[in-house]
Amino acid sequence: MSEHSHELEWETSPWPLIVCVGILLFAPLAFSFHFVYEKPAATLVSLALGGVLILISVIGWVKDGLEDKHGWGAGLSFPAMPFFILAEAFIFVALFAAYWMIRLKAPHWPPAGTPHISMVTPVIMTVILVSSSVTIHLAEMRHEAGNHTGFLGWLWVTIILGAVFFFLTMKEWSHLIGEGFNTTTNAYSTVFYSITGLHASHVFIGVALFVCILIPAHMRKTNSTFIRTASLYWHFVDIVWFFVVSQVYFWL
Amino acid sequence: MRRRIRTASTALMTLFILAVPVLASSEHESGYEKTGIADPVEGWNHLWHEMLWDITVMGVIFALITIYFMWRYRRRFPQQEGKQVKLTFAGMMLWALLPAAIFMADDLYLAGKTWALYNTYRNVPENSMEIKLESAMWSWNFTYPNGVQATNELRVPVGKPIVMRMKSRDVIHSFYLPDFKVKEDSMPGRVTYLWFYPKEVGEHVITCAEFCGVMHSNMRGTLIIMPVDEFNTWLEKEKANI
Amino acid sequence: MSQSVSFGKNLSQWIFTTDHKRVGILYLIGSLAAFAVAGLMAVLIRVELSSIGPTITNPQTYNVWLYFHGAAMILGFQIPALTGFLANYLVPLMIGAKDVAFPRVNALSLWLFWMGIIVALLTFVVPNPPDFMWTAYPPYSIMSGGNTSFYTFTVLIMGFSSIVGGINLIATIIYMRAPGVTWAKLNIFVWATMCAFILQLIFVPVLGSAVTLLTLDKYLGTHFFDPAMGGDVLLYENLFWFYSHPAVYVILLPMMGIIYEIVATFAKNRIFNKKVVVFGGFIGTTVLSGEVWVHHLFTSGMPNWIRLGMMVSTLLISVPVGLMMIGLVGTLYRGAIQYKTPMLYACGFIFLFLVGGLTGIPHAMAALTLALHDTHFVVAHFHYVIAVSGTFAVFGGVYYLFPKMTGKMYNEALAKLAFFVLFIGVNVTFFTMFIVGLKGMPRRYFDYSHMPQLEHLHKIQTYGAFVIGLGALLILITWLHGAFYGKKAPTNPWGSRSLEWTHTESPPGPGNFGGKPLDLPEDWDPYGYGVNPD
Ligand code: HEA
Ligand code: HEA
Ligand code: CUA
Ligand SMILES: [Cu+2]
Repeated sequence: MSEHSHELEWETSPWPLIVCVGILLFAPLAFSFHFVYEKPAATLVSLALGGVLILISVIGWVKDGLEDKHGWGAGLSFPAMPFFILAEAFIFVALFAAYWMIRLKAPHWPPAGTPHISMVTPVIMTVILVSSSVTIHLAEMRHEAGNHTGFLGWLWVTIILGAVFFFLTMKEWSHLIGEGFNTTTNAYSTVFYSITGLHASHVFIGVALFVCILIPAHMRKTNSTFIRTASLYWHFVDIVWFFVVSQVYFWL
Repeated sequence: MRRRIRTASTALMTLFILAVPVLASSEHESGYEKTGIADPVEGWNHLWHEMLWDITVMGVIFALITIYFMWRYRRRFPQQEGKQVKLTFAGMMLWALLPAAIFMADDLYLAGKTWALYNTYRNVPENSMEIKLESAMWSWNFTYPNGVQATNELRVPVGKPIVMRMKSRDVIHSFYLPDFKVKEDSMPGRVTYLWFYPKEVGEHVITCAEFCGVMHSNMRGTLIIMPVDEFNTWLEKEKANI
Repeated sequence: MSQSVSFGKNLSQWIFTTDHKRVGILYLIGSLAAFAVAGLMAVLIRVELSSIGPTITNPQTYNVWLYFHGAAMILGFQIPALTGFLANYLVPLMIGAKDVAFPRVNALSLWLFWMGIIVALLTFVVPNPPDFMWTAYPPYSIMSGGNTSFYTFTVLIMGFSSIVGGINLIATIIYMRAPGVTWAKLNIFVWATMCAFILQLIFVPVLGSAVTLLTLDKYLGTHFFDPAMGGDVLLYENLFWFYSHPAVYVILLPMMGIIYEIVATFAKNRIFNKKVVVFGGFIGTTVLSGEVWVHHLFTSGMPNWIRLGMMVSTLLISVPVGLMMIGLVGTLYRGAIQYKTPMLYACGFIFLFLVGGLTGIPHAMAALTLALHDTHFVVAHFHYVIAVSGTFAVFGGVYYLFPKMTGKMYNEALAKLAFFVLFIGVNVTFFTMFIVGLKGMPRRYFDYSHMPQLEHLHKIQTYGAFVIGLGALLILITWLHGAFYGKKAPTNPWGSRSLEWTHTESPPGPGNFGGKPLDLPEDWDPYGYGVNPD
């Protein structure tokens, strides 16, 4: 679009449409091909195609956003984030409600078939996540102060902590699955995997957001609203973890 | 203006206080009659008519006023504009609280009446006969106290309240007796109940009211109300056949 | 050559658009497509029910039709038409903003909605389509061979779409009002939309979770709804209705909002008791709507005390809704009513919503509902509130905005004819449905050969459905005719005082207000009618 008279042009952006086609292929179609129609080839194709489309449009979107081609700014994303967090919180509320309803009805808990679940990993994970919440705050402060290297450093630390957290979740999952404790085992495994899985997916999205900040940041392109917004989201992911860890791990 | 607000709130309180005895007196609603057994169907019909009057009056008042306004305030000449009254604060509160009080009083009145009838529905009479029901795709299976079993045909003696204890083998079904104005879901993992009072000899439809798959609409049965001795002979005969 | 280039440019400007007006129109097109297909299913359903025994199909197909009809009408037509089309189109114009807060996110929510429609439409081409109705209760939805994941993803994608769309519009309303558009002067439709979106934000995630758990249970073997392993089927029903009841108020609030706008414009009158309508009516409904969901479960073996408590809270909803109705009727008082087509829809709405809303009362009464639940009486109730009142609100809104959206006028005579056909059709179809339901006809029945006495009423309903179809066809013709051959519309054909009419072209260009900041006079008021007495 032309720079000078953008008030009189229709604004366009191809990324929303492309990302949606990507999502269509990546989620509903791939899922159905795999689980319902059992067509591995079609699953792979739609996963790959969808993944590529999503990736392209995320890159394009972030690029547009940083260049601020349309002059919209990202000014309102920070005040809008609390509303998104409200919605997100209710996903967790629903899952915890399901958990409590099942749990309070159960004759004894944990139900038969549950192996010993170590309390060490969750404690380590808590420490990691809490410190990552601190480090992103430090990064944000450095950025505000115009200290680009300091900002980059703390951002890297945060991403690494987030990735380690995610890795620990996966490692614990594979350990438990190795002990024969999988999604189908009993009511506890049902809630265990869905709640920790939901949380892990949030960690994943948070880390992905940070990567979307990090890569352009190495080229000295940053957007402070975007950083503040992502960091707010990350604090939310951190707070939810307290509920997850206290309800699912420690209240056994 | 203060005074008006106070008047309005007094009116509201009065309405509330008036609603209380109405709630308390709703005991009649339960439909007890000479036999000493409450028949929910009678209570239902009674409450239904009362409710119907209630909502019809409400609706007709609103509709008539609307029609009158629609006719009375049609535009007479181009460029005419409306002249809405400007409410004072007290007027505003009055137009909020007074209707709210009336609607609320009506709601609580209906709730009170329903409460009584609902208790009749849910409190099983002492002397009733218990029949176990297990639903399955797509049939009703009954078990009598003495172990006799039946499918889709529920025979009961006249004049004895029947309570169904229900569960389901597979999906959710709903045991529905249209003529007895009652239904309750039967589901896996929980036991539910309903009761009804077969007052007269006759046949009635049993039909499934919760979507349960392809043959949902074919999940039907018959309720056969028999004279007591006929029923007893039938039950003995069945018992002997087991 | 150059023509095709400009066509290509035009096309790409539409499909890649981030402009809220175009996003709104594309929402409208998608939701009308859903309405047309789901309406076709309704007609087929009616034909099937027109006589005893199998009439044109088998139960399996009937169930798929009915699944699609319910899911597509609610998720694909009613919610997107009201909160997607009307809200997107109107809110930025009404508050004097040049666009929404996040235009690209807006386009994202639009295309997510379209993907949801596509997934829903796949119902008709895949080998084992969903057949478990729009409520998808387990264990049936888990045991059924139908593709549960299509249902889940339709819900998830559309839900995500309305969450991001909702955040977007809430941020727009809070932060992007032009100077002078204060909270006190805000259009009533904007208030209604805001309340509806707050409901969406809180409740959609719960529905999303419910259907996700359903899919996990079915395809990954978890046990949320499996009583044998400690799960609970009632859990799903509660989670589902925890959203799906508030969803009806997500529909009700914007439809009230747009009807208020229409009534104020065509009665050239201020809104009666606006503050009370907003705070008592809209916000009251918003607050109450989360505490009543068990009224859908009155026969589901829930504990008695919950049934009774929720009965009272459900009945109390009539207080805020009653206040809204008083405001609506009061707005006619001392007005100068001009009966253009949108106003006919608004007046029709008042009567039909009374029928629909008041027949909600017997359902709410826990004892009466033991007979009425899951019969065609319920079907009649909700068709009066959603399918009739809601559709009237959407169609009235489209007529109202038609000159603004297309820059053309529709043919008034044809539009009025279509209105009366529709009005007769819906009443014939859905009023008789009350009687059928009262006589015990259960819902979702493919066949009712054990209740042969109901056949003639069913026949009447089927004729009624054809009349509705004719009405819809006439409406479509009116719109197409207007859009292509209509007379050029003036900027403010209805003489409204609201910003979207007074300060924009028809249709409004990019940036809405010509790129200049709005300069509103001190005494500006979107409903400032009758200030200088004639
Ligand atoms: C837009 C949609 C919409 C709206 C607005 C409503 C509004 C209401 N609904 Fe409805 N309802 C549905 C859509 C809607 N409903 C749907 C889709 C279903 C079925 C879903 C399914 O199972 O598939 C359903 C089902 C449904 C049930 C469950 C029935 C069952 O399955 O057994 C109940 C039970 O309480 C109910 C009650 C109500 C009530 C009390 C209102 C109230 O909000 C109505 C309030 C309005 C008025 C009362 C009229 C105006 C007020 C006055 C004139 C004031 C004076 C009145 C009094 C004091 C009484 N509805
Ligand atoms: C917004 C919601 C909505 C709307 C508008 C409708 C519209 C209609 N519905 Fe719908 N219905 C539901 C929501 C809706 N319904 C829901 C939620 C259910 C419950 C499902 C369940 O049990 O799970 C249901 C169930 C339901 C049943 C119950 C079936 C059963 O339980 O066995 C019946 C039966 O008659 C029925 C009939 C109709 C009819 C005749 C219309 C008519 O009004 C339709 C008229 C429309 C047309 C005929 C389309 C014609 C279109 C054109 C000609 C093109 C013109 C296009 C434009 C104007 C763009 N519906
Ligand atoms: Cu059993 Cu429907
Ligand atoms: Cu409801």
